Amino acid sequence: MAQCVQSVQELIPDSFVPCVAALCSDEAERLTRLNHLSFAELLKPFSRLTSEVHMRDPNNQLHVIKNLKIAVSNIITQPPQPGAIRKLLNDVVSGSQPAEGLVANVITAGDYDLNISATTPWFESYRETFLQSMPASDHEFLNHYLACMLVASSSEAEPVEQFSKLSQEQHRIQHNSDYSYPKWFIPNTLKYYVLLHDVSAGDEQRAESIYEEMKQKYGTQGCYLLKINSRTSNRASDEQIPDPWSQYLQKNSIQNQESYEDGPCTITSNKNSDSNLLSLDGLDNEVKDGLPNNFRAHPLQLDSSSDPSNSIDDPDHVKSASSLHETKKANTGIIHGACLTLTDHDRIRQFIQEFTFRGLLPHIEKTIRQLNDQLISRKGLSRSLFSATKKWFSGSKVPEKSINELKNTSGLLYPPEAPELQIRKMADLCFLVQHYDLAYSCYHTAKKDFLNDQAMLYAAGALEMAAVSAFLQPGAPRPYPAHYMDTAIQTYRDICKNMVLAERCVLLSAEILKSQSKYSEAAALLIRLTSEDSDLRSALLLEQAAHCFINMKSPMVRKYAFHMILAGHRFSKAGQKKHALRCYCQAMQVYKGKGWSLAEDHINFTIGRQSYTLRQLDNAVSAFRHILINESKQSAAQQGAFLREYLYVYKNVSQLSPDGPLPQLPLPYINSSATRVFFGHDRRPADGEKQAATHVSLDQEYDSESSQQWRELEEQVVAVVNRGVIPSNFYPTQYCLNSYSDNSRFPLAVVEEPITVEVAFRNPLKVPLLLTDLSLLWKFQSKDSSGKDNEEVKELVTGEPEMIGTEVISEFLINGEESKVARLKLFPHHMGELHILGVVYNLGTIQGYMTVDGIGALPGCHTGKHSLSMSVRGRQDLEIQGPRLNNTKEEKTSIKYGPDRRLDPIITAEMPLLEVFFIHFPTGLLCGEIRKAYVEFVNVSKCPLTGLKVVSKRPEFFTFGGNTAVLTPLSPSASENCSAYKTVVTDSTSVCTALISSASSVDFGTGIGSQPEVIPVPLPDTVLLPGASVQLPMWLRGPDEEGVHEINFLFYYESVKKQPKIRHRILRHTAVICTSRSLNVRATVCRSNSLEDEEGRGGNMLVFVDVENTNTSEAGVKEFHIVQVSSSSKHWRLQKSVNLSENKDAKLASREKGKFCFKAIRCKEKEVATQPSEKYTFADIIFGNEQIISSASPCADFFYRSLSSELKKAQLSVHAEKQSIEDAVRLIQKCSEVDLNIVVLWKAYVVEDSKQLILEGQHHVLLRTIGKEAFSCPQKQEPPEMELLKFFRPENTTVPLRPSVEQLSNLIKTSLHYPESFNHPFHQKSLCLVPVTLLLSNCSKADVDVIVDLRHKTTSPEALEIHGSFTWLGQTQYKLQLKSQEIHSLQLKACFVHTGVYNLGTPRVFAKLSDQVTVFETSQQNSMPALIIINNV
Amino acid sequence: MAVCVAVIAKENYPLYIRSIPTENELKFHYMVHTSLDVVDEKISAMGKALVDQRELYLGLLYPTEDYKVYGYVTNSKVKFVMVVDSSNTALRDNEIRSMFRKLHNSYTDVMCNPFYNPGDRIHSRAFDSMVTSMMIQVC
Repeated sequence: MAQCVQSVQELIPDSFVPCVAALCSDEAERLTRLNHLSFAELLKPFSRLTSEVHMRDPNNQLHVIKNLKIAVSNIITQPPQPGAIRKLLNDVVSGSQPAEGLVANVITAGDYDLNISATTPWFESYRETFLQSMPASDHEFLNHYLACMLVASSSEAEPVEQFSKLSQEQHRIQHNSDYSYPKWFIPNTLKYYVLLHDVSAGDEQRAESIYEEMKQKYGTQGCYLLKINSRTSNRASDEQIPDPWSQYLQKNSIQNQESYEDGPCTITSNKNSDSNLLSLDGLDNEVKDGLPNNFRAHPLQLDSSSDPSNSIDDPDHVKSASSLHETKKANTGIIHGACLTLTDHDRIRQFIQEFTFRGLLPHIEKTIRQLNDQLISRKGLSRSLFSATKKWFSGSKVPEKSINELKNTSGLLYPPEAPELQIRKMADLCFLVQHYDLAYSCYHTAKKDFLNDQAMLYAAGALEMAAVSAFLQPGAPRPYPAHYMDTAIQTYRDICKNMVLAERCVLLSAEILKSQSKYSEAAALLIRLTSEDSDLRSALLLEQAAHCFINMKSPMVRKYAFHMILAGHRFSKAGQKKHALRCYCQAMQVYKGKGWSLAEDHINFTIGRQSYTLRQLDNAVSAFRHILINESKQSAAQQGAFLREYLYVYKNVSQLSPDGPLPQLPLPYINSSATRVFFGHDRRPADGEKQAATHVSLDQEYDSESSQQWRELEEQVVAVVNRGVIPSNFYPTQYCLNSYSDNSRFPLAVVEEPITVEVAFRNPLKVPLLLTDLSLLWKFQSKDSSGKDNEEVKELVTGEPEMIGTEVISEFLINGEESKVARLKLFPHHMGELHILGVVYNLGTIQGYMTVDGIGALPGCHTGKHSLSMSVRGRQDLEIQGPRLNNTKEEKTSIKYGPDRRLDPIITAEMPLLEVFFIHFPTGLLCGEIRKAYVEFVNVSKCPLTGLKVVSKRPEFFTFGGNTAVLTPLSPSASENCSAYKTVVTDSTSVCTALISSASSVDFGTGIGSQPEVIPVPLPDTVLLPGASVQLPMWLRGPDEEGVHEINFLFYYESVKKQPKIRHRILRHTAVICTSRSLNVRATVCRSNSLEDEEGRGGNMLVFVDVENTNTSEAGVKEFHIVQVSSSSKHWRLQKSVNLSENKDAKLASREKGKFCFKAIRCKEKEVATQPSEKYTFADIIFGNEQIISSASPCADFFYRSLSSELKKAQLSVHAEKQSIEDAVRLIQKCSEVDLNIVVLWKAYVVEDSKQLILEGQHHVLLRTIGKEAFSCPQKQEPPEMELLKFFRPENTTVPLRPSVEQLSNLIKTSLHYPESFNHPFHQKSLCLVPVTLLLSNCSKADVDVIVDLRHKTTSPEALEIHGSFTWLGQTQYKLQLKSQEIHSLQLKACFVHTGVYNLGTPRVFAKLSDQVTVFETSQQNSMPALIIINNV
Repeated sequence: MAVCVAVIAKENYPLYIRSIPTENELKFHYMVHTSLDVVDEKISAMGKALVDQRELYLGLLYPTEDYKVYGYVTNSKVKFVMVVDSSNTALRDNEIRSMFRKLHNSYTDVMCNPFYNPGDRIHSRAFDSMVTSMMIQVC
């Protein structure tokens, strides 16, 4: 129970005060009306005695009464109607609202911090009004009239006559059976005669004389002359007079109502109050804050019961006054007591005092004494008599009573003057004069008597008052008998069915319990009285119970909250919407954010509804918003209801202020950081054979790896354009901005090119949401070409379409719990700064059922897909938080976020826009296959473009052909069945020998510079004019590895005019090629030992090429034909084919392997000398009848490309080690190096769709080292085996690098020249001498010292040695020095003694670099046996 | 036969709450939430020394017109609240006690699940079925 202004000790005596009736003559009434007050009202503020009063009790003891208050009221002849009381109470409660700036108490209980208003003034005023408006009942006398004031005016013609008339009237009311209502305490009521005298109008002499007359007649103690209205109505000085009435008159409007009845304005005022009440109950009431009912009644009163004086003096005044009331009614109201001065106030106070001292208290004292005497005299008799009769008639009487009692719930009824009631009467009187000891004992006695008689109503009344007086006894000799109260309440409620009395009982008891800190008992009591019959009462009591719970020693927060909710519910049922809302809001504090979502949602929903009906739309909106935003666990239907309600409320809000800013909508959620922005047009779909470049689109997922690749490509091309340096202000072009991209700079958009913003929506609800007219909201600062900033801020989308065009999505449906993206476009038409602020849309939901049976039947309705039930227009802002900064120390220690400028593009001037289409672009290729496709470049902008380049990580994949000549037809259609190669028909005679041509890599646009990846596109005029398109051929070569390849192309182009902001633009394309295995080429080169070369120079080589058909798809590829093998080298060329296979066509069916052998020779020295070093010599060996010119496009292109990519690889691997090797070693190594590149050109016969196709292709083998096998495709490396972990440091093995034996052995090439068979007549001459020439050729570039040792005998036990040995004759050791590339021949003689086959390869050759001290001396082992046959002739 | 079973975390937010007449779910939520006050009261009523050897079962928290609310507190201050139909007079204190013990065991199983994050809502199927059995079974 909330804290009250009054303590219990004050409250209860004030609730039960002596009642005095007032009966006024019409004239007297008129006098008081001048002050806008009735007589009773006039006395009201002065009805409390300021001084102590003394009284003698029946035992003649002096009893002190403090703070006595009396209640004077006009006689009401009708008991108050329950309906009227209810209305009154309702008004009182609704009129009393918590003050706005009320400081709430903060109660901390556990982890709850609650703001609770400590006082509940509405409850107090309810209680006060309730207690005052209690109808007088027969079983108690507390509010029966003890006395009656008879009031007449001195201005009457016959005041004394009037007094006797009034006296008769009073007698008639009290004793006539027509009037049952005003209850009188005792039959002979005290009459007190009051003469009112209007000082300003009346004759004072006359009044005095009448008063004298009255004193004669009624005695000095029975009459009084009250002088009032000493002020002539002069309003100017009125302000100074305090108005003590205002605080009372607000509350006791039941007297007001009654007072209207005798005024002339009864009907109107009643009507008015009725209509007020009705409108309060109705839904569409307009609650004017803090405007109680009686304020409203008073202005009417003024108008109708027009003051004669006022209207005469100043007719305009009424008007002005009433208009004043119209404007500020609540503020001032009526000034009461306008004609009263402070002296008049004192006089009234004096009058009350006089009345109480002289009239009322002596009367009460007398009555008590009388009653006491009666009781004492009867005591002995009655006790015995009662008990005797009870004994005698117990068999018959008692059961009859109990039956009676059961039938008639109020139990036994005593006649008014029954002796049993006398004791109660006395008790009540004692109670009224605060003699609680005596009262308690009397009540106690009465209680026993009533209980004996089974008069339950009476007994309950006695119990109640006994308990109260026991509590109020000074010094508290006995504890408060709570069980008395409980019994009383139970009796009232269950037996007597009198809820009003029960309620009074509960109110008193709860207050008493509260004062004793027995909160839980009080709460139980209050809760027990809640019932269905009165919502208002239940609500108030529940609220008080809730306050009890929170005020407990350990506050029961949750109980408090729950009972607050119950109270709120009852309040709303009782039509007290403000109170209901307040209760729910207070309960909300407990439930908020504690995980009880179901309850929280319910409260929020109710708060929303209540706020809505109270027109607190903002609160309603926020409450509903709360339900929708939370991850609600409600069912779909419930959520749908919430949503509809929310929309409805929102609609009302927006209708209230149609011109206001658009409201922020809570739904659907926007994942701001997932917003993506895309600059440029949408990608065109593939159009027949044409396939547009993939470029960038919003459909692509972000991939950090690929974006890094693109960035590198762009850097490469920019570096090439800027002569190898990347400018410092270079930033990679970003067409699509997302959460991964670098958004710290303002992105650049080009005028007339659309900006697409992808907004990620998520619907958290289970019901679908329908967004209509969805578009972007932006702000634009236009920047005129004249240079001055023309600040023009357009907030609204509909504003100016000529600045920025905005795309509107008419319908966008998000299903329940769905995430969906919407792409919204803007079309900038001017340069400037654009800021995309957010999205604007109509939020609605769809009503699925309605479409089907209801509205769907209407003809016009099926145009839209969904019938929109209701929608509100609102916006949501896109606010993107940038990445967290983490660079400086300050940023690391605090949490700072960088800017994200995704949505603030700068619109720049026009730029060219390129579109690229690929025609006949294959999706599948064989490894090494060459295919010709076409690329179309279209400039779709209004600016010419230039500087077109393409960059790719895989330049070996494609070529645009060399710039030597464009030999192939330009249009793609004409070249449908042509070979991709440039061919020349040859005669078949020159098959085996090579056809030689040469070409430089410069011609093919590659090979120079460090960036072979950047390839300029050979545009015809280097400029592509607006609208122009160019088709260029493009050859593709399937990558050597099988599988799926993603090849990225980056097209780079510039505007002709230099733009300060955008220097270049790019276009991306990703080609996906699937390659399947075709051929595998292996080649080795070795030195030929023969000296058949006509030039006689060393340096012939044998090239062995193994070609294997590794294609596994048996259905598709039938066979491969090797059509040509070409060599390409700076120093070497293929001379002829040596293997003499009959099958010239060199067919390879599936899984077949073929071997070719070629002879290679050094290019002629003079050729080498004249050619620039970059010139390559191509030599073609043809197996068919067509020569493919390998030195032309595209064959050479691909060759160069593969070469450069190979070189790059080699460089990467070699660079590290090569530095450290000594020159000598390198020289030695060089000897074993060769740079011969073999190109194998083939045709594949493929059956596809029962159609034979011929595919062409080429493979490259790069031969670098003699004797080492080289492959066309990189060999798969076996994953290195896991090494054992070593736990000690490996010793630093810095072994001086020595060239390997193999390398050394290649320093000197030796060959023996001798006849293969030699006939010698051994019988003639036993010794056979054979001349043998030993050719020593220095392969290195340095001088070499050579030692030839013939003495050496091989130690190996070979059969040849055993059979026959021969000896070298002559000099056995030679020491020579060979210059670089020098060939030296030694004439040797071998001596044989037998016929046979001999191995001449015994000479050992040692070589060392002549300028080296350290000798890498190694025998130049002759690998091949040199056999000679010696025949005997 | 329980009508509503709830597991409340130490911080007094629901870990698990289920009731059988689902249309009145809100009512039970309120009821359980309100009963926490009584649980708090009962716990604090016990002296600190007694906390260790106290009985986990709190007994009847409060009766309403149609239901009886029983409570149980584990040593880690997790509360079990069970709402039982008042008309079911067959349910004695002992049965309620054993039901709570079963609930406690099942709850312990849930906590033992390494994938369960203490403090999260309970989404265990085993726990669910156990609660269902407690709600259906007629004692």
